[in-house]
Amino acid sequence: MLITIRGLHRIYEVGSEKVHALNGVDLDIDANEYVAIMGPSGSGKSTLMNIIGCLDTPSGGSYQLKGKEIGKLSDDELARIRNQEIGFVFQTFNLLARADALHNVELPLVYAGVRHEERRKRAREAIDLVGLTDRIKHKPNELSGGQRQRVAIARALVNRPSIILADEPTGNLDTATGEEIMAAFQNIWHQGNTVILVTHEADIARHARRVVRMRDGKIESDTPQAAATSAAAR
Amino acid sequence: MNLRESVGIALGAVRSNKLRSFLTLLGTIIGVMSVIAVLSFVEGLNRYVSQKLLNAGANVFWVDPYGFVTSQEQWEEVKDRPPITLDDADALRAGVPHAATVIAMADGSAIAHYRNKQVRGVAIRGRSAGYEVVDDYTLGAGRLFTDVDDQRRRLVCVLGSEVADELFSGLDPIGKQIRLGEENYKVIGVMAQKGKLLGQSQDRFAAIPVRTFQKYKQERGSFGVAVKSMDQASMPVAEQEVRNVLRGRRHLGPRAKDNFGITESENIMELYRNLTGGIFVVTIGVAAISLIVGGIVIMNIMLVSVTERTREIGIRKAMGARRRDVLAQFLVESTTLSLSGGLLGILAGVGLAVLAGAVTPLPTAVSVPALFLGVMMSALIGIFFGSYPAWRAARLDPIEALRYE
Repeated sequence: MLITIRGLHRIYEVGSEKVHALNGVDLDIDANEYVAIMGPSGSGKSTLMNIIGCLDTPSGGSYQLKGKEIGKLSDDELARIRNQEIGFVFQTFNLLARADALHNVELPLVYAGVRHEERRKRAREAIDLVGLTDRIKHKPNELSGGQRQRVAIARALVNRPSIILADEPTGNLDTATGEEIMAAFQNIWHQGNTVILVTHEADIARHARRVVRMRDGKIESDTPQAAATSAAAR
Repeated sequence: MNLRESVGIALGAVRSNKLRSFLTLLGTIIGVMSVIAVLSFVEGLNRYVSQKLLNAGANVFWVDPYGFVTSQEQWEEVKDRPPITLDDADALRAGVPHAATVIAMADGSAIAHYRNKQVRGVAIRGRSAGYEVVDDYTLGAGRLFTDVDDQRRRLVCVLGSEVADELFSGLDPIGKQIRLGEENYKVIGVMAQKGKLLGQSQDRFAAIPVRTFQKYKQERGSFGVAVKSMDQASMPVAEQEVRNVLRGRRHLGPRAKDNFGITESENIMELYRNLTGGIFVVTIGVAAISLIVGGIVIMNIMLVSVTERTREIGIRKAMGARRRDVLAQFLVESTTLSLSGGLLGILAGVGLAVLAGAVTPLPTAVSVPALFLGVMMSALIGIFFGSYPAWRAARLDPIEALRYE
């Protein structure tokens, strides 16, 4: 099992009030699954994603990634796991504004300590993969929203992580572009990657093969679904 | 995190914000500039003075009643000592085997007249024959005065080139009669030009035999004696011989202190070094203040930069940057910033020194250790004042940083 989550709690203290963002979550995700985590805002899906992405640590319970307990790790160890195991794709792209596409994609490799030439080579490969070969020297503000998100996907893939973690990846894109991006995820998944998608849009979630619905910090339902037949296949 | 990446980011930030960077760095620039300029100036003075002083007085030491007096207390102690007489000088000439030359000297000043021309502020140097070796002059024309001129108290003089030029403006001075103060002297020689020392002409003098000086200018009073030893090594021996002769002549007991003084050019150098050391300390103080102010400005701008780039820090952390990577990035950035200031300061300081050397008589020499000092100081400023902003950046929470608008 790639991810094993048992009795996961996350409590925030807002002033004197305690907010239970996660209230006993159990979840298993295997390698090469394509999971959508759904739920209204405040349901705890973002908190769950942050913990799975090792940006946050649980207040209670257990989260094992590849059999390794995450809750006990230090800051630097978490950083290493983010670098090696997780590829993030954000709603707002989160590219470095001053760096060109190539350099943005290189970023995880910089922190992985990959040498310069090797870095260049692998970043180019990742950019080729998302079809932006001719935009390699463009800065984010010279790219369209869809192109930016594809740069972000290339960046998420470049260090060959165990999990691609996408948080509302189409939230800032129009429908047509959103479909393109979802096609890209489909493609990534077909190549053997594990994709976890966090969204509140059913249209987006239908691309996944498994839908986990959350409400009030708990898992409400967890259902497999058949392959989407619409735009993603085209 | 590699250095190239960090330096690249930092230089990019400096370049994309030229005016802001320049204003930020002004304190550092001024601080480093003043250190470089003053050190270059002091270094130039050092070289110049030691060269001139050592040239003039190579292996020379001076004997007078007082020695090298640098304070009021010392003066109180020595002011009633007996004068050095010309007989003392003669005794030294006879009794100091390690001396190559012994000359007696006395100094005054007068107005020089030739027909209707006059030159004011001429230094009158009463000297024994052979003084040119000690004072480091070479004869330009005519002849030097001799022992015979001295013994007979002849009214003859050898002029410095500036006096000769001003009095005779092109005429041949040799053999002409001039008036120095009250008496008329025959010009027998002119010294070759020696140039200026710290803007002071060294060619505005008239040298006359010391006994002539004694007879006409100074019947009583003390003389100085300059002794040039055979070589560097024999200087202490010669000093000891001088001491023996004078103590003998003055019947000083074995416990009595010397009642005369011996000064080496090294003593003068030492005083000089103390003086420039003082300048040095003051400058370093002023520079330190402007560097600290410069550092605080850098810290401020780095704090602004960290806030502006909170999102970037979040992205980097999400991509796997560890605390130390973020810390290093911002430290490299602040250091790059302060080093650019340092380099600009060095350029400005060297420029200032060169300019000062060109338009004023002050000698300047760029001191290489000062350049290193400038680089070191600015780097340290960057590291020291960059630490706090870098630490703030490093401990940002990745989730909050990513959410930052």
